[in-house]
Amino acid sequence: MQMRNRFCLSAAWLLIPALASGCSGRNARSASPAVPDLSGIWQGKAVQSLSLSDPTAQKPGEENDIPYTPWALARMKAARPATGPHATLADTTDPALKYADPDGYPRASIHPMRFKIVQTPDAIYQLWEYNKSWRQIALNRLHSEVPDISWFGESVGKWEGDTLVVDSVGFKDSTWLDPIGHPHSEDLHMIERIKRVDPNTLVFDFTFDDPKAYTKPWNGKLTFKLKNDGLMTENIYTISDELSFRQRFLNEKPSIPIRSSH
Amino acid sequence: MKGKVIALGVLLLAAPLFGHHGGTSLYDTSKELTVDATVSEFQWTNPHVQIGLDAKDNKGKVTHWLLEASSPPVLVNRGWNRKSLQPGDIIKVTFNPSKRGGSVGRLVKLTKADGRELGSIGVGPEQ
Repeated sequence: MQMRNRFCLSAAWLLIPALASGCSGRNARSASPAVPDLSGIWQGKAVQSLSLSDPTAQKPGEENDIPYTPWALARMKAARPATGPHATLADTTDPALKYADPDGYPRASIHPMRFKIVQTPDAIYQLWEYNKSWRQIALNRLHSEVPDISWFGESVGKWEGDTLVVDSVGFKDSTWLDPIGHPHSEDLHMIERIKRVDPNTLVFDFTFDDPKAYTKPWNGKLTFKLKNDGLMTENIYTISDELSFRQRFLNEKPSIPIRSSH
Repeated sequence: MKGKVIALGVLLLAAPLFGHHGGTSLYDTSKELTVDATVSEFQWTNPHVQIGLDAKDNKGKVTHWLLEASSPPVLVNRGWNRKSLQPGDIIKVTFNPSKRGGSVGRLVKLTKADGRELGSIGVGPEQ
């Protein structure tokens, strides 16, 4: 019995719901396929760029693994991010900082805060602390006939063995893929392969296919560690907070009257 | 010694930093200034926590510093809470000075009177 419990504990992250049900003492639902358990609170290391050759964004626009089209390269060169070799906050064109736009995806995961994965038989949800945003990955269904254009896109997923394969379309083209400003068009087709490679590590392998922006598909990768150390917190970026910050730290005159919360 | 500027250090290598809010564009991350100071304000707010300090130099001149720390959730992960500092607290504080001049900076770490250290830069305790 002790050995069985030890096995259940060590393997519980791997398969749900069948094995987990068995471990709880209830009979596994025979109709439920066993799939990996991705649920938990996860946190990644901060990266500035999705470029695998330049994760700290030292040479934006010149990475050898990102095949820009002229359209995308012009956007990349015009971007004024708040990170990288020419970082600026005062004059940034980062839509998430300048307009408090949603980060969109996958940028939402490139943040020094956590996200929670909630897993159900029909959908997997990512819940981000930052801006209390969330994303739905609908399982085992097709895309909408005419997917809407949205900040986080439309995502459908299916299990291929121990890997969740997610197909996403319909991304609003004003978002940046990452903090350094990699652009995309509304034609972006993103494939993710998500795998819990060990109990404490979750890996997202991305393929970005966007012929308007890139001459061929390119790849990115984000790795997250399990951080089951408390409650999810709240961190919401607002224009009023940003104007107040800029007034105090950049000596900028607010463009609109600040509504102080203090 | 209380309230006295005690050190100006120049770092040869700056650790990789998360640049979401322009930290490297606003602050000289190659320099760290350490002062003993009295907390005059502590705002637990977004996008970044704000700390006001009064630091006295060798000649008794008081300089008011305004420092930004990381955001509240990041600081919570590093052991802070919204009551970690109170006006009147005596602390030793290390920060990156502004590139633009003026008495503005970015907090690296501080030590409270009881010896407890609180850090700001980085992502979680392990990084």
